[in-house]
Amino acid sequence: MAVGDLPLIGMLKTRMQWHQSRQKVLAENVSNADTPGFKPRDLRSPAFGPAGAAAGGVGVQLTQAGHIAPAGAGRPGEDARGARRFETTPSGNAVNLEDEMLKASQNQADYALAASLYQKSLQMLRTAVGRRA
Amino acid sequence: MDFLKTIGIAASGLKAQSGRMRVLAENIANADSTADRPGADPYRRKVPTFQPRFDRELDASVVALGRVRPDQAPFRTRLEPGHPAADAEGRVKLPNVNSLVETVDMREAQRSYEANLNLITSTRRMISRTLEILRA
Repeated sequence: MAVGDLPLIGMLKTRMQWHQSRQKVLAENVSNADTPGFKPRDLRSPAFGPAGAAAGGVGVQLTQAGHIAPAGAGRPGEDARGARRFETTPSGNAVNLEDEMLKASQNQADYALAASLYQKSLQMLRTAVGRRA
Repeated sequence: MDFLKTIGIAASGLKAQSGRMRVLAENIANADSTADRPGADPYRRKVPTFQPRFDRELDASVVALGRVRPDQAPFRTRLEPGHPAADAEGRVKLPNVNSLVETVDMREAQRSYEANLNLITSTRRMISRTLEILRA
């Protein structure tokens, strides 16, 4: 059994990967802070099922031209509630630097938390196999 | 690794903002550059533009400095009959540079630059936190 198969460690791994991807999306927002017509994006936080598996984003398939897409359908994993915007400049840019900085520092802190928990879980395993951590 | 991509995206922002600073510095330096003969045009203000560019390697939309375009605003004029570039009525065309606008624009460029820099710092902290898992 690999370490990643343990539900707790698997969840933490998913969480850390999510933070990593979110940091990338935030970097895109900040670097395009002056690009006309750019809308900032964010990621939906991962939801975990009772077994610890990340609930995948199962969407409705549109098979005919007459079908109506569900509200807020964007790229997979994208937060549909991203419409909470502070301001949009006349050039159509909706990036708010303060908001993005806030999200980036929060993302960093949450990542540090997940990394600490991961570390502690590994220490717990080490204790279980009889080695002093 | 996504963290290195993040740094690459933020670095593209740094590069675009410093290019913008360069154009603004050009405008400010030439705020008083008139022509040297009647009828010729003085310095025309340049406007930097930004374009999103999809980077296949980073798999993200990075920013790049687009074409630097001339400002179409009319030139200011000043009555100065003794100037070599004065027309028949004694008016001299001055550049359409407003140093207040340039200064404010420069502040904004600085702010965006710092935001990108902040993101790099925060990403680096996340990387070093990951490496600490190994150390414990």
